[in-house]
Amino acid sequence: MSEEMEPKLLNTTMSRRGFVAMSGAAGLAAFLAACGGSSSDSSSSGGDAAADGVTAEEAAAGKSFDPATEPGGPIEIFTWAGYDDSPEEGLPAMWEQYIKGEYESASPLKWTFLEDDQQALAKVASGYNPDIIHPCIAYTQQWKDAGLIQPLDLNLLPDFGGIPDAIKAGGIIDGAPYHMPFDVGFSCLTYDADQISFDKVGGKESWEVLLDDTYKGKMALFSDDVAIIKIGHLINKGAVDPNKMTQEEIDAAKETALKIKPNLRNYWTSQTDTVNDFVNGNLIATYTWPDGYWKIKNHPKMKDRNIKYMQPTQGRLAWVCGMVLSANTKQPGRASLAMAAANTPAAAAALTDDFQYASGQQQGVAELIKNKELIKAFQIDDPAAWAPPNAWFEAPLPNYKDYVAAGEEVKAA
Amino acid sequence: MRRPLHPAFCLSTMAAVPEQPKLPIKRSRRESRNDGGSALSTYGLMLPMLVVLSLFFLAPLYYIFMFSVALRRFAPTDALAMLNGELNAFTTELWGKLVNVGVIVQLPGIDFTVPTMVIALVFIVLLILAVSGGKISKDRGGWIVGIAFILLLAPFMTIPAGNNLLRVMSLSADGDSLRLFFKSVSMAMTSSVTAVIIAIPVAYFLAFCIGKSKYTWLLVVIAPFLTSYLLRVFAWKVILGDQGLINSGLMAVGLVDEKAPLTFLIYSQFTVIVVLTYAWVPFICLPIFLSFETIDRRLLEAAMDLGASRWQAFRKISLPIIAPGIVAAFLFVFIPSIGEYITPTLVGGTQGTMYGQSLANQFVGGAFNWQYGSVMALFLLGVVLLLTFATARFLRSGAGGNL
Repeated sequence: MSEEMEPKLLNTTMSRRGFVAMSGAAGLAAFLAACGGSSSDSSSSGGDAAADGVTAEEAAAGKSFDPATEPGGPIEIFTWAGYDDSPEEGLPAMWEQYIKGEYESASPLKWTFLEDDQQALAKVASGYNPDIIHPCIAYTQQWKDAGLIQPLDLNLLPDFGGIPDAIKAGGIIDGAPYHMPFDVGFSCLTYDADQISFDKVGGKESWEVLLDDTYKGKMALFSDDVAIIKIGHLINKGAVDPNKMTQEEIDAAKETALKIKPNLRNYWTSQTDTVNDFVNGNLIATYTWPDGYWKIKNHPKMKDRNIKYMQPTQGRLAWVCGMVLSANTKQPGRASLAMAAANTPAAAAALTDDFQYASGQQQGVAELIKNKELIKAFQIDDPAAWAPPNAWFEAPLPNYKDYVAAGEEVKAA
Repeated sequence: MRRPLHPAFCLSTMAAVPEQPKLPIKRSRRESRNDGGSALSTYGLMLPMLVVLSLFFLAPLYYIFMFSVALRRFAPTDALAMLNGELNAFTTELWGKLVNVGVIVQLPGIDFTVPTMVIALVFIVLLILAVSGGKISKDRGGWIVGIAFILLLAPFMTIPAGNNLLRVMSLSADGDSLRLFFKSVSMAMTSSVTAVIIAIPVAYFLAFCIGKSKYTWLLVVIAPFLTSYLLRVFAWKVILGDQGLINSGLMAVGLVDEKAPLTFLIYSQFTVIVVLTYAWVPFICLPIFLSFETIDRRLLEAAMDLGASRWQAFRKISLPIIAPGIVAAFLFVFIPSIGEYITPTLVGGTQGTMYGQSLANQFVGGAFNWQYGSVMALFLLGVVLLLTFATARFLRSGAGGNL
């Protein structure tokens, strides 16, 4: 999850008393059906659905695109808010190489915004057809299985080799690269070291602090179902890969998450909110992305406080999001060139300077980052910090639904 | 002990208009048309509403129903359906997941499990008693209505006993949605009752205690509606936070230790109830105010003349007349609150989660299961319609007068 998700603002509706008589009978029927349906059991299941996108995708592997012969028209990029090109705000020209290139006039870039991975998948699956999409790497398999994306043409992505294998591994399916990692970052607790001590949990920074009721009501986590379960697992099992959990382990992690819940103030949905809660004294530890930590640490109200970004013994969680190429794009070549622009070391450096994130691209980036303090703060130049057991990157989860169901149960309990 | 009423107190009989004999009135065709009787013109007037209703209510409802029994799925391809875990043949399994949950009743010394259907039946019986208690027994009708009402409302009142229904009854492991539903009913019920209790004096004040400037005051009361709801919720966060207005005020006067602020103020069920109550009070002042306005002042004057205290006059005259307004006001708060989404998301914390959040999460969030989301939505709609329908009957049967 690379950007904060603003809560969806659904307006509650006013009462409609006038419709009572008209719809009363229907409502009664529905309610009775609800009660009556309970006794029947069904044998139906979705197991017979065939995965029809797969063979076509495999055939497409190794295809090469020719940007010169493609029809014009805008190249739509379906991405997280903030990654569009807004020179008027002085934001990074992440797409500069493409915009200065030869195809910008015939095929200008256009941005639309997604809110989370599942929703993006749903929108594209139901007919929205952007050229480039920006999902997180854990979802690559789902995008491919749904037949919505195609393999990348590496000839058009000259800087692809600068991405470490460990980071791009999750995006390579059956030997073909589908996902070009772009933004990379940690998900971990930002805490006030003057108020939180790890003495009760062995003296070292640990996720177990969430179980310490000394800090009851002073901590918060992200409302992401998968993260809630993964944290439970790291506490249960220590530094082991939270992407490979069996059903028993998911159940055990759920139990731990339920024990954590009474100590939490909330499951936040917007990072801005939790940052505000922290600086206003409602929290002394909260799950943030690197930019959240940076905002808290540098907030005027936090000037005299010892704010730290936890490096737990079990390892931090980490995400990789990046670009995939739509299977239905009419301009795969030009779209690839746009992706290539975001894959340059200059774009990667801008990502760190402006968002405090790290980048998939790592070759020659450190020299270009203007704020060297960030390199040290997030160990951007230290590969060990970004590899197990210090950090657990998101990876495709075959049993994703089980993680989500368990996480939902924790939140609903 | 029943104290015989002074005959003059039976004002309702005095106020009742004697029934006039119905005389056949001959009307010309023209007159009857002007009477609004023509079907075509009536439907013409309703056309915009019917179009909106069928496009944006009935049609979506049809699709939601189809989703809820797996006659429809969201995924355009089988591959995606498999990823989403969607069912693609008719089934009631989805409904079973919501309602086929054993209710474990835990009383001191005994534990037993009751099927949800039995609980639902008990609720329906109570609802029927509350609506038509007056018809069942002439003498004891008021008692039946009152007791049924208390049995219906009391288990859901959250403060100060906590969600006591949920303490006595727990649901078997899969019952998360239903548990959330009961919790939401409880929270919505508490905020609606609180809002009504707060709104009645305000409306009374507006209707009786001020003269000319009545409508200016009304505007002042509903002024909060001029700002965005979201802004008002965020304002509460500033007020209720650990270093917010209330806590820092209490700390300043030394009532609360600086190291231990009152943490239940923010991110709790309490916060959700406070915010919902605050949000709806100005709104429901209107129907109650209008009910007060319909009271014939001469009745109150007569009561006073005959020696009734202000309280007696209020209880015997005003209250029966405004009862329908109160019930309407209650519904105005209850129905939107029960499916609340944004308030618990912003200020509910881990304990204030509501049904609406879980429902929304099935459609746009991580859970992403349109079929189950549809089941949850239809269930909520069904319960709300049942309650509204019952209330409408309650008001029509005149049981409101027994309050």
